[in-house]
Order: sequence, then C-alpha cells, then structure tokens
Amino acid sequence: MRKLVVLIIAIIVITLGYNYLYKDHRDIKTEKAEFTLGSSELSSEFTLEPILSEKKFLNKTIEVKGQVTEISDNSLTLDNSVYCQFDDAIEQHIQKNIVLKIKGRVIGFDDLLQQVKLDQCNILN
Amino acid sequence: MKKIIYALLFVSISAMAQDKYLTKTGTIGFEASVPSFEEVAATNQSVTAILNSENGEIAALALVKGFRFKNALMEEHFNENYAESDEFPKAIFKGKLKDFSLEELTTEAQTYILEGTLSFHGVTQEFNDLKVDLKKTEKGIDISGEFIAKASEFNIEIPKIVRKKVKDDITVSFNYALEIK
Repeated sequence: MRKLVVLIIAIIVITLGYNYLYKDHRDIKTEKAEFTLGSSELSSEFTLEPILSEKKFLNKTIEVKGQVTEISDNSLTLDNSVYCQFDDAIEQHIQKNIVLKIKGRVIGFDDLLQQVKLDQCNILN
Repeated sequence: MKKIIYALLFVSISAMAQDKYLTKTGTIGFEASVPSFEEVAATNQSVTAILNSENGEIAALALVKGFRFKNALMEEHFNENYAESDEFPKAIFKGKLKDFSLEELTTEAQTYILEGTLSFHGVTQEFNDLKVDLKKTEKGIDISGEFIAKASEFNIEIPKIVRKKVKDDITVSFNYALEIK
C-alpha cells in the first residue's frame, strides 16, 4: 500500500516537473487582447513616450487596426508604422490598401524604421 | 538668402544620392549549447538591417523579445533572467565595412572586415575584425557572418548551477538579404 502511494506521488511529481520544463509556448491566437487601438495611435504612443510605452505594451497581446501599406511573404506593415510578422505565409487574397485588424504580440519599437513590431500575428477580419 | 537655397539644394541632392539597402526580415541566431546537454539556441527573424552603399556603413537592430527558443521555459528564462528584455529591449549593431565598394561586389561571396559596436543588455562592446561575406543578388546584397560574443562581457552572469549546460562563449550568426530602397 505504502509503495503504491510513493509511486503515485512520484508519478505526479515527474509529470508536473516535465510539464514545467517543457511547457507550451504562449498561444497568442487564443489569448485575449489587452489593448485594442489604431496603428497610428500605437506608433505615436511609442514615438512620444518611448519608455512608458515599452512598459505598457512590451510582450502584451494587442489588436491593431490599419491599412496595409507593404506586404511580403510572412509580414506586412500597417500605415507605414506597425510591422506585423506572421509565423506562416500570408494568404494570397491579402492585398495592399485593404484595412485589417490584426492580433499579435508587441516585441518593441524599431528606431531604425520608426515602426512598432509585432510577432506571432493573426488576421482577425 | 541665395546661399541658403544653394545649401538646401545641396543637402537634398546628397540625401537623394544615398543608396540604402534594407531588410526587415534579417535573421540572427545564437547558440550557447554544450554537447550532450539540451540545445540552448534561439533565432530572431525580424531583424532590421540597413547598409549605406555609399560608404559601407551598417546598422542592425534586433528586438530582444523577438528571439524564439524551441523550449518555452528557456525563452522565459532568457527574457527574465539573462537578457532582461523588459529593461533592455533592443540589441543594436552600428559599424562600417572596411574598403567597401558597391562596384566590386559580385554574385560570388567575398569576405569583408566589419568594424563596429554592439549594444546589448546595457553594455556596448567594440568588435574590430568581424568577418562578413557579401554578395550581389537579384534584388540587392546578401550579408552574412558569424562571430563569438562572451556573455560575461555583456554583463550576463550564467549561474553556477547551469554553467555546465550553457556556454559563456556564444556563437552568433546573422544573415541579411538586403534590398535596395
């Protein structure tokens, strides 16, 4: 009886330990967005208040809305101010100039381009 | 007044003449793995890099949170305890290619020497003889290279308990497919 208890505890500890060490990555797609805003609004916050905005947005899941101004295989830019990277290739029907709502994770502000960067993006509309 | 107009004209002409090559999807990878232990490696595929083909100046910026690990816990520890990406969200390289000339580039890779500074984790280090390969492509210029950076020199301490599993010598590799802007 005692052995069985020890064995069960051992199994639980190992499973918990394994799940801790090899836990899954965040799934941005299913996370709820903490902020919803326009792309120009987002970039102006970063330009005007870089340090505060970093505290507010870094690593957060957000929703941005804007017009597509540039598009490549797996990334696009909204209003020349928010750069969105996707894990997979972007669907063919997404074209320049259309307005999109995108959910992604903020990874920071790129000084060279003056653009906010998001990764693990998803198109919502 | 005339002088000012000439000056302005001159400035705008020289600004136009600048040929910039740029990518937003450059790759930087690093590895600090020790053989027979779990791989300690990450890649960032959203690096911005700009080359000024007039003078060979290069700037590259990687957002630290954009480094992705296979293991989610490792990524979390990297961001929280090692790179401290909330406090230091950017890694920036600024430098210049020695003896660079756009005309001399060919479709075959040639090695150039890159000099510059790398700022990361609140520390700026000089690198004086980075070897980089440059070649002409259909759309622009490809730049790639590899170098070793010491974690300790960037004020990153690897705790004793994992020192056997994580190297202090970190191999950093990069690849930028630059396109003319």
